[in-house]
Amino acid sequence: MIRRLNLLLILLLSFGFSQAQEIEYEQYELDNGLDVILHQDNSVPVVTVGVMYHVGAKDEAPDRSGFAHFFEHLLFEGTENIERGEWFDIVAANGGKNNANTTQDRTYYYETFPSNNLELGLWMESERMLHPVINQVGVDTQNEVVKEEKRSRIDNAPYGKIIYSTGINPHLFNKHPYKESVIGTMEDLDAAQLDEFKKFFDNYYVPNNATLVVAGDLKKAETKKMIEDYFGPIPKGDSIDRVDIKEDPITEKIEATEYDSNIQIPVKMFSYRTPSMKDRDAYVLDMISTLLTGGKSSRMYKRMVDEEKIALQVIAFARSQEDYGVYNIGALAMGETPLSKLAEVMDEEIEKVKTELISEKEYQKLQNQFENKFVNSNSSIQGIAASLATYNVLYGDTELINKEIEIYKDITREDIRNVAKKYLQENKRLELDYLPESNK
Amino acid sequence: MMKLRILALLFCGIFTTAIQAQIDRSTMPKSGELPEINLGEPDRYSFKNGLELLVVEDHKLPQVNARLVIDNKPIIEKKPGTASLLSSMLGTGTENMSKDEFNEEIDFLGANVSLSSQSAYASSLKRYFKRVLELMADGALNPKFTQENFKAEKDKLIESIKSSQKSASAIAGRVSRALAYGKDHPFGQFTTIESVKDITLDDVKNMYRNYFSPKNAYMVVVGDIKSRKAKRWVKKYFKKWKEEVPPSESLPEPRNVQFTQVNLVDMPNAVQSEIYVQNTVDLEKNDADYFPVLVANQILGGSFGSYLNMNLREDKGYTYGARSRIGASKYASRFYATASVRNAVTDSAVVEFLREVNHIRDSIVKPEKLEDVKSKFAGNFVMNLEDKSTIAKYALNIETNDLPEDFYKNYLKKINAVTAEDVQRVAKKYIKPEHLQIVIAGKGADIAEPLENMTYKEKTVPVMYYNKKAKKVDKPVFSKEIPEGVTVKTVYDQYIEAIGGREAVEKVNSMMMKGNASVQGMSINMIMKRTVDGKSLMKMTMGGNVLNKVVFDGEDGYTMTRGQKMEMSEEQIKEQKKSAGLFPELEVDEEHKLEAIVPVEGEDAYVVSTAEDAKAYYSVESGLKIMDKKTVKQGGKEIVNKGKFENYQEIKGIKVPMKMVREYGPQTINIEMKEVKFDEGVSASDFE
Repeated sequence: MIRRLNLLLILLLSFGFSQAQEIEYEQYELDNGLDVILHQDNSVPVVTVGVMYHVGAKDEAPDRSGFAHFFEHLLFEGTENIERGEWFDIVAANGGKNNANTTQDRTYYYETFPSNNLELGLWMESERMLHPVINQVGVDTQNEVVKEEKRSRIDNAPYGKIIYSTGINPHLFNKHPYKESVIGTMEDLDAAQLDEFKKFFDNYYVPNNATLVVAGDLKKAETKKMIEDYFGPIPKGDSIDRVDIKEDPITEKIEATEYDSNIQIPVKMFSYRTPSMKDRDAYVLDMISTLLTGGKSSRMYKRMVDEEKIALQVIAFARSQEDYGVYNIGALAMGETPLSKLAEVMDEEIEKVKTELISEKEYQKLQNQFENKFVNSNSSIQGIAASLATYNVLYGDTELINKEIEIYKDITREDIRNVAKKYLQENKRLELDYLPESNK
Repeated sequence: MMKLRILALLFCGIFTTAIQAQIDRSTMPKSGELPEINLGEPDRYSFKNGLELLVVEDHKLPQVNARLVIDNKPIIEKKPGTASLLSSMLGTGTENMSKDEFNEEIDFLGANVSLSSQSAYASSLKRYFKRVLELMADGALNPKFTQENFKAEKDKLIESIKSSQKSASAIAGRVSRALAYGKDHPFGQFTTIESVKDITLDDVKNMYRNYFSPKNAYMVVVGDIKSRKAKRWVKKYFKKWKEEVPPSESLPEPRNVQFTQVNLVDMPNAVQSEIYVQNTVDLEKNDADYFPVLVANQILGGSFGSYLNMNLREDKGYTYGARSRIGASKYASRFYATASVRNAVTDSAVVEFLREVNHIRDSIVKPEKLEDVKSKFAGNFVMNLEDKSTIAKYALNIETNDLPEDFYKNYLKKINAVTAEDVQRVAKKYIKPEHLQIVIAGKGADIAEPLENMTYKEKTVPVMYYNKKAKKVDKPVFSKEIPEGVTVKTVYDQYIEAIGGREAVEKVNSMMMKGNASVQGMSINMIMKRTVDGKSLMKMTMGGNVLNKVVFDGEDGYTMTRGQKMEMSEEQIKEQKKSAGLFPELEVDEEHKLEAIVPVEGEDAYVVSTAEDAKAYYSVESGLKIMDKKTVKQGGKEIVNKGKFENYQEIKGIKVPMKMVREYGPQTINIEMKEVKFDEGVSASDFE
């Protein structure tokens, strides 16, 4: 009897999706509106404390592009109890790592420590939320640092305007702040004043606009008490006005050329404005990316790089965002291949997805690839913490950390065809020639 | 009843304040006890062909990965690029499967397999791992190298080399390695389009046959798998791998430069300079100095709070980040400090680099700083163990670097034993401020002059120029981008405006200049006369004797040298006509082209090409003409004839250069104007 049961179990294990990796977490809200998510995993002596604020580049004033990201830099300058320049020393001296990042939609700060420093992490993040010191010295220094970051990441980097969308979004958005880049322009960065930063803090850096996540080697009761101690007294802020700007649909093909002085090989890109990442269609588009360019057997790679040798590399990726997404398909030209040729072949491949169902085998391949990706995404405590925060802040559904794979599993071959038909239309896209500066 | 309620309320109030009073935010919370370090041991197996297997079980997630590392001595590539071609050809088909079948199956399983010239990697969900391992073995051990795939991969490699040609960071990386280790050392070699073109399919096959051997190979398996099973599967798929002894060549010895110098590579498109400050070091992981060096580097540039970053980023705002590294290797290694900084502060950033490099050598690190750094090592050590492959990596390091078995068990103990004196001692030993190469890839037009003028400790640092292939070159002429809207016409208009304005200039009909030139100690008098309708005269006399006279009446002319008269040839006449008149800039000749902006002795100037071999230079700032240059062919050699115009003075409302310095090949002639007149002292008989 037991033997049989074992056999059954083995069968289940080998055919079913892996059940073992459910991420357990507990979520609750403090009186001041702060969302708290705890994930306990005592198997490794590491803990991550992260705070995600629901504010990003899209919340900036119109002529203050780059402001939210600049602000993120400022919040490392010190607090009433942490002197200027000490933040990083404290983290390092306690064996930790920390960082922060800003997107169009949110700003995330985190520290990862050996678990003996959990309280330290909570103290630091609560200091940042309660009373950071925002002053002119910080503004002046970080202004220079942010400009260097822009130069490193975009101006001096090959394909920087594609990687950071600064060569794409301005063509796809007219009204929505997504038309500006997260890093901003030098002029806007210079224009930002100290009072504006202070006001930005008062508006957005309030507990009712934030999610605290603590993940790793922790004891729940103790942790909850410390969280109440450090974050409980932070006063609640006013409610937040969210950006609510609707773009008119694109009805005519947009043609544009961008130049990059750091490249020699041109790129042909098709970019489409797509729905919010919360929309089921966004998940389907993700699958289409993988179908076209995920792995060497993917459709575009195999045809354009391998067989016809017209492309050095092919790319398809979705820029997932809260209000609208941007979906990009492109190829780097091989040798003297004209960009028009790349466009022609890309169109043929897009047309195929729109008119023919993908094969059962391709479908199963996609499912396998997404399952592998899903398992990988939860491989570190720091990664789990960031995912929990993101699902809560941007998707409003923390449980997606376990259930997102179900969405992919539910997508059918017909869905793939229909979504391609719905969004990948020629008259709704940007056709971008991304050229070396020397072609100017 | 009522009282009780109040009491309860009061109690509540007290209770809440009590909670709030429990924490004191003004002081930093103390750390608890460092969590226990559980440094597991991988299971080990050896196979007959030399392959060693290390397995670490990790059952947290249903996935497994395998990494194959061949620990050969670094290979000197006869034709650089052979190894990367071998890497890209592995996986393009095997004796058992076509390329398409191979790629299709890996993707179908949602797996990753990558193969390269000296390593391989595979990862997948647990339930597909056996097959994925088999695929990895097939790709690595039974490759089929076809001419067709070879050609395709070669084309792609050439194309991707092109794609990095304009990346300052890619160029800085490779040039800094080439200059540190030498272009013939495996660590300094780099791939060029030319070297790739030379490679044949046989070169690739030979490299595979010679070096892809289990003799020095390690397989590391980590994940949701029992180690006995891993052993069984690895044995099954890798036992056929035949042992070959890879050839072993002795490596050239890297040498440090004799004196500290800047090695500049011009990247005209760069908006940031990529800086490497470096010297090679002789250090291995099993040296006693290894741990003090780790600590010293951490203090200098190992983290955000290090000397370099706090200075260059947080204090000065020159960069997004500055870091340093001191390598340790049984073959060769280097110390380097690096940052990307904006063009305008390149020289200042170098000075700060030098300052910090000396700082760590000249002064004892503060005790708190040292303690902080040690805690960071402890914390990182603990945190790195979250990833179970760390255990395997450590075991592998012990094997491949001949380290003692307890190297990682004693790691933190050794770190903690490092003293402030140790830090200073090793900083002095391994960082060499007198022998630094400061390799910079950046925009020469903006950064070269400041670097040449930069002083550190009251001394300038010699600047040498290199090309993208790490070859020493003469100082290049740096050009700047021409702003939008600037044309030959605007340059000429600006010039005319600068010398007195169109109205004044157009009124002039003739011009006479008397001057004195000194050539090799001799004094020569000269007279020049020109008219608006194209007549000209130039006469040079010494001590009353006419040396040379050139006369042109607008249609015809002659030269007279020491009494010998020679009629002008047709070509000379053509040339005279072309340069006739007083102020050619009044009109734009269609052949004239605006070429660039280049610095002329520190002053930016527009370059206008006026003929195939002639150029004129106009100051961007003042608008004045500051130089002309002509290339003359003489006896098969090209000689540059260059004139600089200085000391502009106003004569009757028009500015004229009173000093001219002409360089003709190696000769220099200084001409001082004694007298300049407009519409005076010129008569028709002058041109007869």
